[in-house]
Amino acid sequence: MKTDTFWRHATLWPALVLFALLTILPLMKLFALSFHDVEWVNREAVWDWVGLANYAKLPQDNLLRAGALNTLIFAVVAVALQMLIGFILALLTTRVVRGRVFYRTVFILPILVPGIIIGAIWKLMYSYDFGVLNSVLVALGLTPQDWLGSPDLALLSVIIVDVWHWTPFCFLLLLAGLESLPDDIFEAAKIDGATRWQQLRHITLPLMLPTIAVTFVFRMILAFKVFDEIYLLTGGGPGTSTEVISFTIYRRFFTEDQTGYGAAMSIAVIAVIAAGIIAATRATAGKGAKA
Amino acid sequence: MSYRTKQSKHLRTGLAASALALCASLASAAEAPITIVINQSPWFPGFQTVVEKYEEETGNTVNLDVNPFAGSLEKQRTAVRSDESPFDILIMNAGFFVEFYTGGFIQPLTDIDPDFALGEDIYTFDDSVCWNAEAKTITCDGGELLTVPVNPNVLILHYRQDLYDEAGLTAPTTWDELYENAKTLQTNRRYGISQRGQRGTFDVTYDVFPYIWSHGGGIVDQQEDGSFQVSVNSPGTLAGMETYLKLANDVGHPSTAGQTQTNVIQNMATGRAAPINSVHAPGLFDDDSKSMVVGQVGYAPPPGTAEIPSATPLGHWLAGVPKNVSDENKQAALAFLTWFQTDAAQRAYAEAGSMPVSRAVLESDMADQPEYRWMKAMAEAVPNARLTFTFPEATQVLAITELRFNQAIGGELELKEALNTAAEEITKVMQDAGYDIPAPELLQ
Repeated sequence: MKTDTFWRHATLWPALVLFALLTILPLMKLFALSFHDVEWVNREAVWDWVGLANYAKLPQDNLLRAGALNTLIFAVVAVALQMLIGFILALLTTRVVRGRVFYRTVFILPILVPGIIIGAIWKLMYSYDFGVLNSVLVALGLTPQDWLGSPDLALLSVIIVDVWHWTPFCFLLLLAGLESLPDDIFEAAKIDGATRWQQLRHITLPLMLPTIAVTFVFRMILAFKVFDEIYLLTGGGPGTSTEVISFTIYRRFFTEDQTGYGAAMSIAVIAVIAAGIIAATRATAGKGAKA
Repeated sequence: MSYRTKQSKHLRTGLAASALALCASLASAAEAPITIVINQSPWFPGFQTVVEKYEEETGNTVNLDVNPFAGSLEKQRTAVRSDESPFDILIMNAGFFVEFYTGGFIQPLTDIDPDFALGEDIYTFDDSVCWNAEAKTITCDGGELLTVPVNPNVLILHYRQDLYDEAGLTAPTTWDELYENAKTLQTNRRYGISQRGQRGTFDVTYDVFPYIWSHGGGIVDQQEDGSFQVSVNSPGTLAGMETYLKLANDVGHPSTAGQTQTNVIQNMATGRAAPINSVHAPGLFDDDSKSMVVGQVGYAPPPGTAEIPSATPLGHWLAGVPKNVSDENKQAALAFLTWFQTDAAQRAYAEAGSMPVSRAVLESDMADQPEYRWMKAMAEAVPNARLTFTFPEATQVLAITELRFNQAIGGELELKEALNTAAEEITKVMQDAGYDIPAPELLQ
């Protein structure tokens, strides 16, 4: 037994040390940076201690406020739609046997396409002058829309792309969950005369809750980190209509070279997301226990 | 002979040939291989062509690390702040080169070779190639030569010469004339003008400069005593932006706030725009694989006002050698920059579809040939071109102006409110950086 414990520890520690080196140390460095302003003089980085000044500036940052609001709208709307469509598709296809390899391959295609190509495809489709969407509208006698250039439409347009991109992810996880549900419960329900809706409402949904929760948390984390779609499609504009937090951090930290302030912004966002994940996990654990 | 033996023989032959080629290459190369970090811009293919020509002529190797605009800046920052830069030449934009000068990252070129000098015909672009470290000023008067310009990148007016001729119009010299011409040429399928309005790194701000300068406005002006004055909400800037918006709203693209440089160039190349005010991509509009308006585009300096003539911002690119590369690589980088300034290289640069930085080439007999007809407009525009930002906080100021101008163009903010907000935000950035700048007087 002692030998087992030794080997367990011996095999675990290298992974833990590597994890600490690659994750915790950079975070600690970022945390330290957030209390400084960095200036470069004669090729030397000069770190000036500013205390909590960088954190104090956060609430006054208009761009950050716009980014936080847009990120919240983006994450909630996009993930809700992805979960809903993904679940409906999973329900519709779970009992299909013929051609399942084909339809599953087709459904997961959008996740396999690199972000840069998705950006190029949708930018062309949304183009005011040459895009297929406006060509269709004009052919139908309707007015072309400024999909990416109008403050009223731009965020919605980006959400549509995200839904197209990530619904297959939700579909796959939810389908796996549905296929793992025990058949005997459904058979018993049928014998008892339960309708399809009753089966869904009283059996499928409660049993699927842990899978739905995990999928939701995964997608929310990814949605809060959205960057490439925004960068490629709108650059955060027009105005601040598609500004999101990760883009604001990118601008402040990299483009404007405000490394101390950018670090404070990053730490604050990490803290908020971590709090959200903990809250969601606790809520799910409670619901799971009840279910 | 078995397959394995055959394969082995081919492998040996291939290795021997590669070794011979490598030896031949090393024997003919006079300099160490160098890497240039550069952005992907409309003029890049021309630069790539002259680099290939340099390699052919000298046997030296030049690697190009090509990036989007903002990506190039980030790579350059990381490179100069590390122990040893992976890049031997940085191609820096007018919007951010000052940051590299003030940080002490760029090697004075005469430190590498005391005899090195900028060619007589090479433009200094408002002395932006020199830096006086003691006075912290951009000047060749007492300053050291830090860079060689690689691209003028000034705005010039591109207009449909064929449509202008048909309508009996001439190239406009004022915004009012441009407006009237645009109204005449506007149709359901063609915009009177296409302007860049999207927010980016140095996008909409760059394109509004001719409007605001020619109305006596600015963003942050350096005074004669070296101090700075925020002028983004001055009456001149307001008038300039009103002119921009009048064109955008009355005769422009319906999505001006969403237009990138690529969109604007596409509009011209596909015949959707009568004129555009853009940086020049000479090879593009006369290339029938990319353009529907081959031979139909005319060029002129950007318009101005009756009081203040055309003034284009310098969005030029400068090549500098970082201090943190080996002496051998500094010599190799300088060898390339020396060659790049020659008349032959500059002519080849123009022939490859880019804009030379040599006055001699811009004003040469090439300018009389139809394919280089843009040279006259360029030669006329460059002497009036001005530096946009001369302080290292430029990237923070640009982040503000890119947003506020874009909001004004898109109608998200009323123009005066956008300019006043920008003025307050820029003042705060400058004050936080230690500049003695008074609070701005707000437009009513």
